[in-house]
Amino acid sequence: MGKVLLGRYVPGDSIVHRMDPRAKLILSFFFIVIIFLANNWQSYALLFALTIGSILAAKVNFAFFIKGVRPLIWLILFTVLLQIFFSSGGTVFWRWGPFNLSYYGLINGAYVFCRFVLIIFMSTLLTLTTAPLEIADALEKLMMPLKKIKVPVYEISLMLSIALRFVPTLMDETAKIMNAQRSRGVNFGEGSIMQQIKAVVPLLVPLFVSSFNRAEDLATAMEARGYRGGEGRTKYRVHYWQTGDTVGCAVFVAVLIILLFLRHW
Amino acid sequence: MAMAIIFKAVNYMYQPNTPFEQQALENISVEIPTGSYTALIGHTGSGKSTFLQHLNGLLRPTSGVIQVGKQAITPETKNKQLGELRKHVGIVFQFPEAQLFEETVIKDIAFAPKNFGKSEEEAETIARRMAQQVGLDDELLSKSPFELSGGQMRRVAIAGILAMEPEILVLDEPTAGLDPQGRLEMMEMFKRLKEEQNLTVVLVTHQMDDVAKYADNVIVLEKGKLIASGTPSEIFAQPNWLVEHHLALPKAGEFALEFEKKTGYKFSTLPLTEVSLAQQIASLLHGGGVHHG
Repeated sequence: MGKVLLGRYVPGDSIVHRMDPRAKLILSFFFIVIIFLANNWQSYALLFALTIGSILAAKVNFAFFIKGVRPLIWLILFTVLLQIFFSSGGTVFWRWGPFNLSYYGLINGAYVFCRFVLIIFMSTLLTLTTAPLEIADALEKLMMPLKKIKVPVYEISLMLSIALRFVPTLMDETAKIMNAQRSRGVNFGEGSIMQQIKAVVPLLVPLFVSSFNRAEDLATAMEARGYRGGEGRTKYRVHYWQTGDTVGCAVFVAVLIILLFLRHW
Repeated sequence: MAMAIIFKAVNYMYQPNTPFEQQALENISVEIPTGSYTALIGHTGSGKSTFLQHLNGLLRPTSGVIQVGKQAITPETKNKQLGELRKHVGIVFQFPEAQLFEETVIKDIAFAPKNFGKSEEEAETIARRMAQQVGLDDELLSKSPFELSGGQMRRVAIAGILAMEPEILVLDEPTAGLDPQGRLEMMEMFKRLKEEQNLTVVLVTHQMDDVAKYADNVIVLEKGKLIASGTPSEIFAQPNWLVEHHLALPKAGEFALEFEKKTGYKFSTLPLTEVSLAQQIASLLHGGGVHHG
């Protein structure tokens, strides 16, 4: 289970940890958008500098980031190879049927690789330094304007918080039921595909049943404590926008401006 | 055929070689004799669940050997070899009703024997027999297990394990969440099954009364280490040691201690069950009063 890095929060007390989760969320999205403006090595160098700088500021072990890339490595390689062999332009080094290895293909492949790594590093940084519930809170705040067009913001964010809260519980439950069924002679992950699909039924049915029971209990418990929807509720965790957040945003905007210049070098 | 379980210098570590590594069992060497009724006691986090999961190879030791009958489980044992072992060791986990999934009660009980190679009819015959053993009415067998009451679901789950016809029956707090009457019925049922089918029983429990009443062998774990093993009268013989390790005496034993304090009478052996307490007090009353001093 240790492989699931998404939502794996590493507590700490760095500038990045202390930032407002709203700022971190906005900046992560902002970063993903401006990556697509980069089109030469200088601009990628700039983005790498920004990413490395943010990681250093967060004081999180770099190994976590490498681990974040690892599960996606096949997807990345596939995309990179697609770029390398199917884009044309510049000097052609090699050609076979629809495949060709060109100068532009190689460059594009390298850029795509950089883009992936940068996006993964930055989003890993977000989840490593921000507790899942803080992200849910930030999303709720940021979606608030959508209330005007009748989007059920409170409900969405409540669903999100509950989902995040119950991930570890469900994992425990899964491990328990797997143990019970293995003791009854089920072999998970063995045999033909049909056998493996069949082996999942004794796992999924109890999981569904217990999830429904749990949902009912949770709803009762919430009603018993007077939950009547999100309107007018005060928050246990209150976020304050601080100087650090403004500085962070300023840095990212500065990077955007430099990027725009570099683009038209 | 019965089987003994022998732990030899067993260590188990969760997530070794990571920052999250945690030693759950530390150098455990102990024997659970054939045909015994062994109680496993210890606090939450003492390693009881980890210990249990070694009994049928759900976990393999990080080092050491576990001998179950003829089969040895070592760190290198392959999953394939464990299938055979699991047939002989039935584990009833805590809140076993969570494992029910089939459309009907009978199918759920027949699930394990089918997995272990019995034909559909054979499995169903065994299932009917086991349903009777645990006291489920025939009319329930064609119902969905999810229509039953909590206590009935527990019985179905237990029948599902008994249907494997194991030689070793492992029970992890089987009476948790039942009312007192249901508790008593369930414990009496296990006692009867053990005698009729010549089982070796391993019971994890917090109920010291049950330990005194049913077990003939006790294993005490604390923080992953074996701190005592022996008969219930040996384990409960030293009240001070029990207090030190935050363990309780059975109710009858507590009463007897209090009785000694109030009257000055000394029991030759501390009674641990209601029956022996009653007998000793009765013979005391008939035998002519309380000795002072």
